[in-house]
Amino acid sequence: MSARQLAITVGVAVLMGVLGLALGRYAAYLVNAVAIAALGALSLNLIIGYCGQISFAQGALLGVGAYTAGNLSNAGLDGAVAILGGGLLGAAVSALVGLPAMRLRGLYFAIATLAAQAILEYLFKILDPLTNGVSGLVITPPTILGFPMNSDQSLVVPSLVILVLAWLAVSRLMRTDLGRAFLVVRESEIVAKGMGIDVSHAKMQAFLIGGFIAGVAGALAGYANRLASPEAFTLDLSADYIAMIIIGGLGTWPGPLIGAAFVVLLPEAIQRVGEAAGISDILSALRELAFGLLIILFLIFEPRGLTALLSRLRPRGIGAAPHGSVGAPGESGQPQEGGSR
Amino acid sequence: MTLALQLAVAGLATGSVYALIAIGVVLIFKCSGVVNFAQGAYAMVGAYVSYVLLRTGLPAIVAVLGSMAVLAVFGTLTERLVLRPMLKAPLVAVMMVTLGLLIVSRAACLIVWGPDQIAFPKVFPEGAISAAGIFITYNYVAAGVLALVLSLGFLAFYQFTPIGLQQRCAADNTRAALAIGIHVSNQVSLAWAMSAALAGLAGTLLATLNGLSLDLAGIGMIAFPVIVVGGLSSLAGALIAGLLLGMLQSFTDGLLTPALEEFLREHTSIYSVGALQQVVPYALLVLMLLFRPQGLFGRRGTERV
Amino acid sequence: MALTASDVTIRFGGVVAVNRMALDVLPGEIVGLIGPNGAGKTTFINCLSGTYRPNAGSALWGGDELIGLSPSALLRKGVARTFQNVASLHDLTVLDIAKLGASVRRDRRFGGHLLDFFRSERALEAALTESILAPLELTDVAHKPIQTLSYGRRKAVDLARALAGDPQLLLLDEPVAGLTSHEGMAMAKAVRDVRDRLGCAVIMVEHKMDVVMSTCDRIAVMAAGSKIFEGLPAAVQADAEVRRVYLGEP
Repeated sequence: MSARQLAITVGVAVLMGVLGLALGRYAAYLVNAVAIAALGALSLNLIIGYCGQISFAQGALLGVGAYTAGNLSNAGLDGAVAILGGGLLGAAVSALVGLPAMRLRGLYFAIATLAAQAILEYLFKILDPLTNGVSGLVITPPTILGFPMNSDQSLVVPSLVILVLAWLAVSRLMRTDLGRAFLVVRESEIVAKGMGIDVSHAKMQAFLIGGFIAGVAGALAGYANRLASPEAFTLDLSADYIAMIIIGGLGTWPGPLIGAAFVVLLPEAIQRVGEAAGISDILSALRELAFGLLIILFLIFEPRGLTALLSRLRPRGIGAAPHGSVGAPGESGQPQEGGSR
Repeated sequence: MTLALQLAVAGLATGSVYALIAIGVVLIFKCSGVVNFAQGAYAMVGAYVSYVLLRTGLPAIVAVLGSMAVLAVFGTLTERLVLRPMLKAPLVAVMMVTLGLLIVSRAACLIVWGPDQIAFPKVFPEGAISAAGIFITYNYVAAGVLALVLSLGFLAFYQFTPIGLQQRCAADNTRAALAIGIHVSNQVSLAWAMSAALAGLAGTLLATLNGLSLDLAGIGMIAFPVIVVGGLSSLAGALIAGLLLGMLQSFTDGLLTPALEEFLREHTSIYSVGALQQVVPYALLVLMLLFRPQGLFGRRGTERV
Repeated sequence: MALTASDVTIRFGGVVAVNRMALDVLPGEIVGLIGPNGAGKTTFINCLSGTYRPNAGSALWGGDELIGLSPSALLRKGVARTFQNVASLHDLTVLDIAKLGASVRRDRRFGGHLLDFFRSERALEAALTESILAPLELTDVAHKPIQTLSYGRRKAVDLARALAGDPQLLLLDEPVAGLTSHEGMAMAKAVRDVRDRLGCAVIMVEHKMDVVMSTCDRIAVMAAGSKIFEGLPAAVQADAEVRRVYLGEP
């Protein structure tokens, strides 16, 4: 990463930390929610935005992280170890999900990840000894490196530290041979092969790293909610994450955070406004409606997301960061058959 | 044996409805290259529209046809307003926009009709057939037979009529179709219209079986295993795979689940396998993609480099 | 090392695209491969570079069989190629592409990526800029995304990528096609410089006869999948059969 990216990352995190710790419990809750969503979006941006592999299973991968970390810390391990465990199992399951990507591409692979999501959701429900079934696994607040995580405020620092580390790691990754290989694979697997890139290997690395970050995000989500339940990690969550990186800007550097903040904070804002206007009974529906419409409108009118929108408003703004120039994956994701659309 | 027959008949009935949904998905895929997440939304909206029309006292047949017409308009609008501006967008964006449409439709229905299940007006006579030791309600018979007949009818339409021929032309080779004077973009719109109308009907039929609620939108997801098993571009494959998966689910629910649970209770601490019938199609999907990605009836080599 | 390709044959369905093609290339030699469209020139290059797997034939490279190896394995053996059409790779700069080219010579498993993560690329960047980008006049655009460059410069970037892998055998697929004549001459000069500097063997598929005549040491002519003539540039120009098949004379 560049020095500028480092400064921005740390600066934003410090700002979020100050807000989260100074403005009370609700602010801390929001900061945690944004940080966790940004982590999940970061992982998906790596897989979809940089490597060009569609995945609808990210929601379930977060679930794997949450259940793993929950069980580990419930068993008495330190939260830091438990989070690491969540990340590792997330990576392992993600590798399994990505395995068909070695043979399938585009649409077929997208459908395979959809199936993976459905199967994982099912496993959350029935692997009773590990997941406590449909009622969900209650997670006792752990201690992380000795600090008890018994409030929203206490989780702010670990969430943000992990977010910064993951963010810098991914930024750095994109400046290595592997990161550059991702970008070529995204544009065209054929070109990548011709250039001597081991395409399968690159894809698998994207799934491993993306799965690790998703697992860590899930672990933090479990600690934030003190519960890991099947309803929390459904296809809807996967769709939320895809929406975040699309709204933030696919394959852009600041996109995951911008998209996460938008998707997390918009419903909260609607909630507040709605409560003030006295229409709280249809709020959840309005939230959904706004969310769906935004996805559609962004995809049609600004497919490169808020990052592009912001950088157009302010030409030298955050959107001008490296990797922020062009976002859309190329032909590699196109269907190979009946393609007359 | 009686149980097996009972399960088979029930499976065929739901399978026919799956087929109706999946045929629509394949139809859209063939001419637009898009796998449509909003198919479930069409089913749900179709059911609600039928409900509204039935409540006005219209005869059932008129109400259902009216709802199909409304859905045809909805489908056309989707294609013209949402899909067409995204011709050059990456696959993930196109899949996502149809998912967005599903979310919006669900929210809109939630605002208008609320979250609770609504009893669907009687469309078919009450009562049941009891023959050869099996017992099946008229509702089931009617929904199954209607869905099956319409699926077959649609396949015949697609195969044997001039419009069907133009559809096939436009789907197979856009350039050639244009060259011989077929208005391809109209054909694409037409495909979306027909597909949405079929889904609307399927939604209505499902509502007569299970009642009317937002959950109807979930039916769209079953289309994915069905079309992969049938072969992404085969309409007949969608029909056969729909019936197969309906039966598979029925047998899973009626035979496999009880047997498996008994075994698990004896040997492990898992006491329930939950809704196994819902996940079995996905397991089949994964196996299919790994070992026969072109599906049972798809053409080999369709997934080229 | 020398390349000895013999009997290379590839069929697509019923069409024999390359039929018992043979070609020898010595180190430090530039061999031009010419012929009408559809003669099988690019297909032959694709067979040598691992893109296609021929039905039969052999390509010995200093005693090693190249046929059947993947592009990445070939690159590790020093066999690099350029492409007829340069892909537009969003977000990647000229230097990024050069680094990708350099990376393929290293086998990168078992934690190799982890090392990359902590290694500074300054030294690599300096070396690539000096030895690869400067001779191709790409230094000034080193940090520009390649889709902002002209077509001619993108082709130079593709050559830079191939050269960064330190090739011993260089397969060039129409390196000057689509370039202005000035760019074409610069490219041809770059190819000769590379040969002089690295002493590598070069096979160059090209249609522009002036470039072929001025650049190549030897020329092979293909038609309908087979080699119909091979010789010095002057001899090719003089050969009646070549003139008939290729130059369109009666």
